[in-house]
Amino acid sequence: MTALPLAIRTVRWMIWDTYRQSLASRLLWVMLGLTFLCTLLCLSLSVTGDEYSASHPFELPMYVPAAEAGEEVRAEGIRVVSGEVSLGFGLVRFPVGRSRADAVHWFQVWLAGVLADTVGVLLALLWTAAYLPQFLEPQSISVLLARPTPRWALLTGKYLGVVLFVGFHAFLFIFATWFSIGLKTGIWEVRYWFALPILLMNFSVFYAFSVMLAVCSRGVMVPLFGTLLFWVLCWAMNITRHTFLTLEAGEWSTLTPLLVEVGYWLLPKPLDGSGLFYEVLRAEGVAAPVPEWEAACARGAVVPELSVLSSLLFGLVVLVLAAWEFRRAEY
Amino acid sequence: MNCAVHWEHVSKFYPVGPTGWRRVTAVEDITLSVPYGSVFGLIGPNRAGKTTLLKLLLSLTYPSAGQIYRLGRPAHDIHTLSRVGYMHENHAFPYYLTASEILYLYGGLTGLAGAELRRRVEEELRRVGLADRQHEAIRTYSKGMLQRLGLAQALLAEPELLVLDEPTEGLDLAGRQLLRQVVTAMRQQGKTVLMVSHTLAEIEQLCDRVAVLVAGRLAFTGTMAELQSNHLEYDTLEKKLMAIYEQRIAI
Repeated sequence: MTALPLAIRTVRWMIWDTYRQSLASRLLWVMLGLTFLCTLLCLSLSVTGDEYSASHPFELPMYVPAAEAGEEVRAEGIRVVSGEVSLGFGLVRFPVGRSRADAVHWFQVWLAGVLADTVGVLLALLWTAAYLPQFLEPQSISVLLARPTPRWALLTGKYLGVVLFVGFHAFLFIFATWFSIGLKTGIWEVRYWFALPILLMNFSVFYAFSVMLAVCSRGVMVPLFGTLLFWVLCWAMNITRHTFLTLEAGEWSTLTPLLVEVGYWLLPKPLDGSGLFYEVLRAEGVAAPVPEWEAACARGAVVPELSVLSSLLFGLVVLVLAAWEFRRAEY
Repeated sequence: MNCAVHWEHVSKFYPVGPTGWRRVTAVEDITLSVPYGSVFGLIGPNRAGKTTLLKLLLSLTYPSAGQIYRLGRPAHDIHTLSRVGYMHENHAFPYYLTASEILYLYGGLTGLAGAELRRRVEEELRRVGLADRQHEAIRTYSKGMLQRLGLAQALLAEPELLVLDEPTEGLDLAGRQLLRQVVTAMRQQGKTVLMVSHTLAEIEQLCDRVAVLVAGRLAFTGTMAELQSNHLEYDTLEKKLMAIYEQRIAI
């Protein structure tokens, strides 16, 4: 048998092994449970009130919620919206800010951008951090390594297994929440689906770093806390870089902005990822962007394509380094 | 290389301490051959370097000096590993799988597939007496059952070279008998068995050649008869071995 088919089979077996591991560790059920809760939340959503149809797709509608509308507003001919958003099957109620579609849009931005992209990705990184160290324990892996399987294929298979597992849950989350919101409100926002590749990209880049830490340390704690620290560091670097662009020249030595720029391009860019979310979900009408990102965008200093590519490249390089380290690791 | 296994001037040092500058010797300048078709025993006291020699042979670790050949090819050629079966002393199988799933996984990673994989898994489960409990999660298995499973996975690809590291550890009488049958059958088929064991009865009964390692050095290599002819003043193999150990340590 040539090396490539065996490598492909190894990757396939490792993906299957990760699925079984997720079943045994009950992570599959925990994540399904969370998706179920979010779906329930979406099913509890109802939006009543006005429907606004703009004459132009980019028109900013002139209207205010009923609670904020005084006589002078009505006198000026501005449309007053009297709808209501209700969550938890009527437990929480608040007035519709602008139109029904905007209220649903705001809810989706909150679900995808805050809940899934921040809380979801962090939880997924935490919960899957132990998968690889368990697999790499000398007592577990020595018999596997004494087989004609390339080591890189074992590692890649395990990595892909976890990414596919998280990807499956991300798909399920997006589908279930999108479908239930559509069912309840009749608003089927297709842009919401753009959240799926961005979520997957963010997770896969940071999980590659977790894999490298697991290979180097062969323990659970280092990838667990190391990845969280790294996530914070990348946010800090991303914000710092965008902040530097708004500062006056001469406030710092010439070396500092250079180092920040190099750090920005080398590391993953979670703030830019979040900005990308903001753009693809067209959240400008319903949520405020991160000010540093907005300022950098205004100066033309954020190139979304390059930002995404360099983040993905970081993940790839780190994964190759992990495979290299694993190839020469002794057991 | 006309041997199933050949270590040529092999040394292995491990770095120790925070800087890694200090080194501890696991094995030093070992030249040893395991002929095709033999049942070869590696014996020695604890920390003699027996397991290190096996790990070097299986490319789990790499030599600091010297060359290793496995089934006629340099050890870095991993393709020959498809013709090698390895039973680890205390292998931790994935606790979340059943016995048959483990054999499918390990067989798949050795290159077996489809009907052949199915046939081999069923045969080996029957051979080691786990067929009726193949669908139970292995976390319910006893140590002896796990050892049987370890033996089954080592035999799955019908290896030309079987490497056994403390194979009788945790095995009951029936398990030991099964192991003897397996080794005897392999010898009859002209295949090679290399085993590390502290159980001298097993070595005496099964091996036709042995090597004695003491403190990372080769103290003796030859046939069982040659080993028995050493230190004639002692009547048991255990006493003879103790004499060899002490002699080597004195050097």
